[in-house]
Order: sequence, then C-alpha cells, then structure tokens
Amino acid sequence: MLFQPLAVIAEVTHRCPLHCVYCSNPTQLAAVSSELSTEEWISVFRQARKLGMLHAHFTGGEPLARTDLTELIAAARAAGLYTNLITSGIGLNEQRLQMLVEAGLDHIQVSFQDSREDAANWIGGAKAHAHKIELSHAIRRHKIAFTVNLVVHRQNLDHLEEMIAFIEQLQPERVEIAHTQYYGWALANRSALMPTRMQLERAVAIISEAEKRLAGRIRIDSVVPDYYAKYPKACMGGWGRRLMLVNPSGKVLPCHAAEVLPELCFENVREKSLEWIWQESESFRKFRGEEWMPEPCRSCDRRGEDFGGCRCQAFLLMGDDKATDPACSLAPTHGIVESAVKEANATAYVAKPSQASSFVQLQKLTNDLWSYRTNPE
Amino acid sequence: MPPPTDASQPRLATGCRWGGTEENRMILYPEGAMKLMGTGRQVLERCDGQRTFGEILSELQKEFDKTDPEKIRADIGMFLEQLQRKRIVDY
Repeated sequence: MLFQPLAVIAEVTHRCPLHCVYCSNPTQLAAVSSELSTEEWISVFRQARKLGMLHAHFTGGEPLARTDLTELIAAARAAGLYTNLITSGIGLNEQRLQMLVEAGLDHIQVSFQDSREDAANWIGGAKAHAHKIELSHAIRRHKIAFTVNLVVHRQNLDHLEEMIAFIEQLQPERVEIAHTQYYGWALANRSALMPTRMQLERAVAIISEAEKRLAGRIRIDSVVPDYYAKYPKACMGGWGRRLMLVNPSGKVLPCHAAEVLPELCFENVREKSLEWIWQESESFRKFRGEEWMPEPCRSCDRRGEDFGGCRCQAFLLMGDDKATDPACSLAPTHGIVESAVKEANATAYVAKPSQASSFVQLQKLTNDLWSYRTNPE
Repeated sequence: MPPPTDASQPRLATGCRWGGTEENRMILYPEGAMKLMGTGRQVLERCDGQRTFGEILSELQKEFDKTDPEKIRADIGMFLEQLQRKRIVDY
C-alpha cells in the first residue's frame, strides 16, 4: 500500500449542547436518525486497526451526546487503537469520566472558549464555562492525559496572556492554541472572527514566551492561521494520505469539510469496507498524489510539503476544488484572501461580550454579529 | 526541567503507552506515534518507573562497553529530557 492511514476520526454525532460560532462542522449537519448504530461503529474500529491505523479520535458534535460512548471507547481500545476524546465536557460528570477511563480512554481534550465566563458562554452560546472548570479538576484526579484546546480569534486574542494563565491553573499536560479555520459555521462568521495582523503578531510573541516559560510542564501546540501565512497548510497531511473521517451517518471523508465538494461522491461504511474506500474509492484517490495539480503547484518545490493546500478552501473561496489554495501567496487567486485580510484590518473593532443569562437572549443580542451553530434534526 | 539525576525514575507519561507489534514497537501518545528501534527502544523499555536513571545507565554502559560511559550518560540524558518536554516521558 502506497499510503498508510494513521488514524480514524470518528464524528460520532453532530448533536452538540454548545453552539460555538467558530464551529467547523458543515452547516448541513447529519440528521440524528441517520446516525450509525453501536455495532456499526464497532465494526469501523476493528476495520481501522486491521488497516494499520493507530488512533481513534472521537469527535462530533459532542461525542458525549451518544449514550453508548463508553461502549464505543471500550471497543476501539479492544481493537488495539489509542483512544482520544475531543469534547466540550458537557454531559460528563466524575462518575461517567471514571467509566470512560475504565473502558480504556487514553486521552481527553476539553475545549475552552475563553478565560472569562461571560465571554466564554457568549462564544459557545451556552452556559458551559463553570462546568468545564469543575470537570478539569475531576480529570486531574484520574489517570488520563489531559489537553486543553483553545480556539482563538478576533474576539478573544486581546487577552491571550490571561487565557494562557487561566489554562495553566487547570494543569493539563498539553494546550492546543488553534486559530479559527474558516469552514462551516466559522466561514459564515468569518468577518467577526478574523484577527487583525497586530493581534496575530502579538499572539505569536505571547505563545513563544509561554512555550519557554512552561517547557517541561505544559506542551503548547499552536496552529497559525493560513490567511496570514505565506504558504498554505498541508491540510490533513495531504488528501487521502494519513486520515479517514467517518461522519455520523457513516460517510467516509478525507477531511472534515469534504462534503462541500459537489463533484465528489463519498462512500458509506454501511455499503463498503474501509479498506476498499481507502484503496479503491474515487473520492480518496482524486487528490492523492500530484496528477491533479494545476500550476503553480505542479512545478512548485513545495508540492510535496503542502500538497497544494486545502481542496475544500479552494472550492469554498473560488468554486474550484482543483485550484491552488487561495491562501497560498503564489496562487493566482490569492487576491481574494488578501482582500479578506485587508477588510479585517480596516478596523480594530471588537464586540463586547453580551451579558445574558440564556442562549436565546444571547442569540437576540448578537444577531447582527454572527450566527450560532444550530443542531441537526 | 533539568535533565534526569541518578535517582530519577523515568517512566512513560500518563496517556503514553506501548503499541504496535513486536517487530514494529511504537510509543502511542495523544498526537501521534513514535517508532522505536535500536538504542532508543532499549532505553525506553527500561523506563518502567522502577529502575533509576543511574541503574538504566549502568545497564546500558555494560551493554555498550566500547563507548565512553560519559557520552552514554550525556546522550541518554538529553534523549529523556527532550521526551520530557514533549510530555512523553516523566522523571
């Protein structure tokens, strides 16, 4: 096999108690009635290990919304996979956490929206922050690796130092500081989320200082926003090269956003094996290798590093999934990203978090700024 | 964190464990996996939280008796320090 898949991303449901404005889930969410059954997921994990994959990343939506999550984690672990739960923490108390750890959960990654309670609930569209703090303390009482994930953007970057200090107190082994990536809901809300160049430069300096200060205690992984980068990101380590994502209804995708590509038909685990999909399906083979590449990618020295960037971004911004990612400074269409950046820098305006007690109130108060992620039918 | 001392008891950090197959031993950790061969594997297989760094060193210094023992100490110390920064090893 020319390419070896390393991990399966199990998007076990699109249901979520949070409504984060930066959510990268598709705006067309998978219906609850279409979700794979327990047995179907268990088969996915066994097939994944047989194909040589090492990790199962449980994500969503909110994976805890599945009442069979403990069983799914136990099955993935029994199949020989390393199990990682990516969660908001809503739906998890210490008793359920204990059950997950006993089932073999290796690692838990909890998202935080901000260090300030009002602002965090404002971004997430739900009263979740206080529970997340409580849960973080519970996690430290169990033998499990703990990562905090913080998505940063225009609305929270001005107090990044405060957010890092807040996370330090939660005592994770790792922190992931990820700039918003503009897919799904985040793309719809881009103008309210895109940072200014000054915010970005300050953030880079703050993160680099924090890395030095926390070395040996907390490992920091950070993701730079591609709109400000010179070259595009090597999305998913290249199309169909390392990862398989199974969505709630069993569709197998090379990345989180691929369903937006209208010309591609994605296979379903209900009909085909993971092995067949990896090796034979048109969808996984389409952008694998270099055959499909246009210029300037085709003759570019970096084509083996970034693989022409993200196919979905090329489609979302340019309507052409075969084009060079417009985030690349060498792309003929880079102007479209430059003008988005220019617009973001035209003003340093940051909205103030609204004081509101309920999600419904929040929605009303912030109606003009952005759309909150909704829930599937 | 300073490098390990003779009394340190190195071990795999929480959330990091052995995986793969006998011929293809790997350490699995949250973001990925690391294939281990040769000396790296010999070192990490001894990081069981029981042996001290001093004991691990003397075992490996015996095994590689043609290499300068101080070089072995420096190399292994640096190797473990790097893995500690990645939160894969604790000591």
